[in-house]
Amino acid sequence: MYDDLRRNVRKTSFVLLGLLIVLMIYVSYIQVIESDFLAGNALNRRYIEAAERIERGRIVDRNGVSLAYSRQDDSGRYQRCYPYGSIAAHVVGYCSEKYGTSGAENTFNGYLSGATNAQRFLGPIVNLWSNKAGNNVVLTIDADVQAAAYRALGNHRGAVVVLDPRTGAILAMVSKPSFDPATIDSDWDSIADAENSPLVNRAVQGLYPPGSTIKVMIADAALTENVTDLKKTYLCEGVLKIGPDYELTESNHEAHGRVNLEEALTVSCNVTFGTIGLELGDSRMAKTFERYGFTKPLDDELSEATSRLPDFSRLGDGDLAQTAIGQGSLLVTPLRMAMLAEVFANKGVMMEPYIVSKIVATDGSILRRFAPEEFITPTSPEQAQLIGRMMESVVNEGTGYAAQLPDVQVAGKTGTAENPHGAPHAWFIGFAPADDPQVVVAVIVENAGTGGEFAAPIARRVMAAVLSKGGESHD
Amino acid sequence: MCAAEKERGLLVLAAMVLLCGILAVELAHGKIDFTTLAVAGGLVMVWFAVQFILQKVSHRGDGLFLPLAAILMAIGLIMVYRLKPELFLMQALWAAIGLGAFLLSALFFRRITFWADYKYIWGIIGVVLLLATAIFGVDIGGHKSWLIFGPVRFQPAEFAKLFIVLFLAGYLDEHREVLAFATKRYGPLVLPRPRFLAPLLVIWGLAMLMLVLQRDLGSALFYFGTALVMTYIATGQKSFFAWGGGLFILGTVASYIIFPHVRVRFDIWLDPWADPSGKSFQIVQSLFALGSGGILGSGLTYGFPEMIPEVHTDFIFAAIGEEMGLMGAGAVLLLYILLVYRAFRVSLRGKTSFEILLAGGLAVILALQIFVIVGGVTKFLPLTGVTLPFVSYGGSSMVATFILLGVLFAISEAGEGG
Repeated sequence: MYDDLRRNVRKTSFVLLGLLIVLMIYVSYIQVIESDFLAGNALNRRYIEAAERIERGRIVDRNGVSLAYSRQDDSGRYQRCYPYGSIAAHVVGYCSEKYGTSGAENTFNGYLSGATNAQRFLGPIVNLWSNKAGNNVVLTIDADVQAAAYRALGNHRGAVVVLDPRTGAILAMVSKPSFDPATIDSDWDSIADAENSPLVNRAVQGLYPPGSTIKVMIADAALTENVTDLKKTYLCEGVLKIGPDYELTESNHEAHGRVNLEEALTVSCNVTFGTIGLELGDSRMAKTFERYGFTKPLDDELSEATSRLPDFSRLGDGDLAQTAIGQGSLLVTPLRMAMLAEVFANKGVMMEPYIVSKIVATDGSILRRFAPEEFITPTSPEQAQLIGRMMESVVNEGTGYAAQLPDVQVAGKTGTAENPHGAPHAWFIGFAPADDPQVVVAVIVENAGTGGEFAAPIARRVMAAVLSKGGESHD
Repeated sequence: MCAAEKERGLLVLAAMVLLCGILAVELAHGKIDFTTLAVAGGLVMVWFAVQFILQKVSHRGDGLFLPLAAILMAIGLIMVYRLKPELFLMQALWAAIGLGAFLLSALFFRRITFWADYKYIWGIIGVVLLLATAIFGVDIGGHKSWLIFGPVRFQPAEFAKLFIVLFLAGYLDEHREVLAFATKRYGPLVLPRPRFLAPLLVIWGLAMLMLVLQRDLGSALFYFGTALVMTYIATGQKSFFAWGGGLFILGTVASYIIFPHVRVRFDIWLDPWADPSGKSFQIVQSLFALGSGGILGSGLTYGFPEMIPEVHTDFIFAAIGEEMGLMGAGAVLLLYILLVYRAFRVSLRGKTSFEILLAGGLAVILALQIFVIVGGVTKFLPLTGVTLPFVSYGGSSMVATFILLGVLFAISEAGEGG
């Protein structure tokens, strides 16, 4: 009986159960295939919320001084505190729900937040052992040096980079104008689009013409390539005529007379170095920049802007001479100029710069250690010593006298980089003590004036700050 | 092992799911709340008591229904406790009342023909409930589906669907020959004579009214679909689908053009990413929850389902998907598939045409409700405010679904006996 009814019920049940099975396949598709897209969607706030529930790791300096830590508020959520505020803002970075992360907060976010990829696929079981706190990041920065460099730069726009020449460890990295990472959310509108770009870390992302600071490299190239020797002299009458209608002038139309290489570097003679540039020619100039690593990128963790080198094969004589005195289309970062000075402080070896020395789990175990590594060896120890001597006379007798320290021999080179944005950028690169270098510094002060007047005194204060700490802060 | 022992074994499993789930949530929060455990334990006692009583009165209904309901209810209670701990007690209370309603309907519907005789009364009650909701409905939590009488408030639609199915089963049982054979041909399609068609037109009108007044495409589809499928079961005339489907599409297109709110619902469904932080916030959050859960889920209390508005009622499935992953969400779907399968099995084993139609109709509304809400929160279908049976927070839904299950249980006994 009722076979027709039953047949209809059976058909109906097939269709409806079929729909439910289709739905089940669809849910599987959403949770498996679409999972990555949905979980990683920018509008999905889950990871940010999860981050607020665990204590984000601390960022500390080389002596264990906190630069960033998390504090629990009354509601049980963690908030990020930055004891050094704007002083270390670019190194440490910010960590914002709305605007993401920057600096070390960004580069080491995975370690700081305690989230590692391997655990993602284990599902809920990881909750049994997963960290309730992130790992700590130990920087190579010395907070005292950082603060000293920040103060030394004053109200100028610019950057200071301080390296340990023996290891390449970055002791300080200041960029101004700065910002307060603790109030990034409320300040964002005013700083994100500000004309003077406070968010940009000028030390690694600012591209500037190096001006006369590049001459230390050109001097080394001239000797290495046998274009000149220590005795050969150049006649400087204040102007170098190149071709029919091009003139390279001294900054004050000053004539230096007959100068050898050391004297030319000491007084920063544009005519001599322009001539040397022409003597080197485009291919040897290109080779020199390559030899000094300007074309070799640094570790991603520093997020450095790539230096802009002129296309040497198409360079006219005028532009070639300009490049030899650090002008023209050549643009470099302050970090690169610190690394250049490091070569002459470290027996011809350029170390790979690094800013994190180790990552430590909450239980004290070291998850990752960063050891000093040689980056390149652009020149010989003898050559480095020779150029180092010349840099000493720059400070003792030449343009860099403002960098002199009472009991310590300083070596350095000033730069005054012409630029289309107004007054020249003031540069100083150097190291101290000259016989046993412990600190390398690069200073740029945007649109301030001459390097000797504006950058050298800042470098002096920074070097003094490092040396006054003695050996205790260095491993 | 006899059937009753197997049933008890399954109930023990469900009890373990409930108690372990509650404990897991409490341990994750770092404190054991004995009141909650006691309430859960009490509820377990209630479902064993119901099973015991049914056994005592020699009820030989389908032994899978109660354990299936118990385990779904357990998952629902765990999620409600995890999402809104303050509502746990109420939900447990409603579950206990639901179990009582299950027992009562399992007993009352043993005399099944009695109910068939009063079909028009059930039909009128169903229509009145729906109309009253459409006209006097109060908006609570985004649904204009509540009726409030002083301290009592409930969602009549949950009960109305039972009355409508009861009525349709009775009506179609009486008139199925006429509906099937006294037809007129209109080209390739056939249609019964208008006088037999009237009740179906009334339901179509009701569905359209719900669509317009309550912005509730899902409920409209739900009632209309139920009526159509039941008519098909009764008559075997597929052309009703063509007529009904045509009318429904016509109504839907018309309301899409005329009513902006219907259009909004459709647009959200077609492209939720056009306004993910505004109009389609809820569905987008639901998809995020499901996607973030992945295969294994985040673990109970380790996800963020509270980011979805109304997560403890309509969107509870997304919360299960996030914290228990596809393993949990898939298990829930499999339990429903099993439940729907057993419901259809009851229909197929029915001894009278009324039993077949009634059980078939109840199986259809169960299947459609699950399809509409799970499809809604996963963007398979436009979103509709219906509850996930036995799992969502809500008293009306819990009690009504238990009554539905009780009726199926009662009919299943007749089948087993034969």
